[in-house]
Amino acid sequence: MDDRIIKIVSNGLVTSGSSFLPDKKAAYERAISKETNPQAKWVLEKILENAIVAEKNQSPLCDDTGVPHLMLDIGPNCPISGDLLESIKEGISQGLRKLPGRPMSIKGDDAQRLDQSLGMEVDPGALEAAPILIRTIKENKIKLHIIMFGGGSAIRAKTYRVFHKHNVDNVIDEIISWATEGTKLLGCTPCTIAVGIGRSHYEATSMMFQALVDGTYDMQSNLEKRITDKMNASGVGSLGLGGNTTVLATFMKVGPQRASGVRIVSMRPCCCFEPRIATIEL
Amino acid sequence: MKREIRTPISEEDIKSLHVGDTIYISGKIFCGRDAVLPKICMLIHDDNLGYIDLQDSVIFHTAVSLAGVGPTSSNKVEIEESIPVLSEAGVRLHLGKGAIGSDTISKLYEYNAVYAVIPPVTALLKNNTISQCLVAFPELGMEAFYELEVRDYPCIIAAAHNKSIY
Repeated sequence: MDDRIIKIVSNGLVTSGSSFLPDKKAAYERAISKETNPQAKWVLEKILENAIVAEKNQSPLCDDTGVPHLMLDIGPNCPISGDLLESIKEGISQGLRKLPGRPMSIKGDDAQRLDQSLGMEVDPGALEAAPILIRTIKENKIKLHIIMFGGGSAIRAKTYRVFHKHNVDNVIDEIISWATEGTKLLGCTPCTIAVGIGRSHYEATSMMFQALVDGTYDMQSNLEKRITDKMNASGVGSLGLGGNTTVLATFMKVGPQRASGVRIVSMRPCCCFEPRIATIEL
Repeated sequence: MKREIRTPISEEDIKSLHVGDTIYISGKIFCGRDAVLPKICMLIHDDNLGYIDLQDSVIFHTAVSLAGVGPTSSNKVEIEESIPVLSEAGVRLHLGKGAIGSDTISKLYEYNAVYAVIPPVTALLKNNTISQCLVAFPELGMEAFYELEVRDYPCIIAAAHNKSIY
């Protein structure tokens, strides 16, 4: 294994679990300045203050430190080996110990992992990352994106079919309906709504993941803005307390589509800290 | 105005709390979530709580680990189902996040208890957590039943006296 890769992946994981990117900090500052509900404004201020303290201490933003999800961007002349992937895996383990991550790896065989009857490993580093997503880029480099996915947003996420009836409004309205229900129950608002649309559940979910990697709070497409504006009119607000900041933004990626009346949509109402992301060059 | 509440919480304290109030909790509070709260309810059912004194207490819906503490969704089935049983057994304040159902809100009222939400600010709460002590079910790891001593945990009353923000 490659010690250099292990070290930078480990440090990248700590950054992802303890920091907001500059565009997210700016989005919170904008939301605080616009929020008129005093309690919701107080919550937004606390979330931003929490992020500044976590970044300074390199400590977790949230006690649900999340499950690592990884994406590799690979340039045209950049070889990928099994050794590189093993080094990334080891870096993730070491990063989880360093953050520290919450010890959440469930012990046992299939049935025991399902009902949690054998309990958990005590080592935070025992938590396995989800399968790696790979795509190509034009730059001649390898980039690793680390995103930590928490459980609350996973409970409220949904991947299902939508009949578009040859009108984009039907798809967007369904996404808004799912997201509104999800944000009420989630509690950890304001959310970032992540949406992927593809030809299968696998493709839609991977599009949702790419939307989080590529999205920025500084720019919203017309469809993203439409979802964001409608969600903020719902009045759920920060921590469910009302006001006009239910979501900070929507990140959406529409992939290739099937010649069919059906679109497969994956929607994740990412909590107030998500996407907890770091991008590193290997 | 900053309203301070110290545990144990009296019935009079609860009567004076209203939806939307911002409060700061200090003192000893219990912590538990999906795995352990049904087990505590079973102990109540069997009249076997032993040294666990729930009277006038607070239960924070959180895991306790090296990563710190922070609210989990109180509307998860095993957590929300525990709220009426625990309230009847003396828990005065349930601390978590997310909307809870109208049946739960009316049960809180029936047993003179309230529900509050706390921002998920783990890095800030670390500075306000004085000590932690494992109380029961150690085999559950981070999901065991813990007691924390805390100072000025900030929260907002979300359900009280059969009213709520939801």
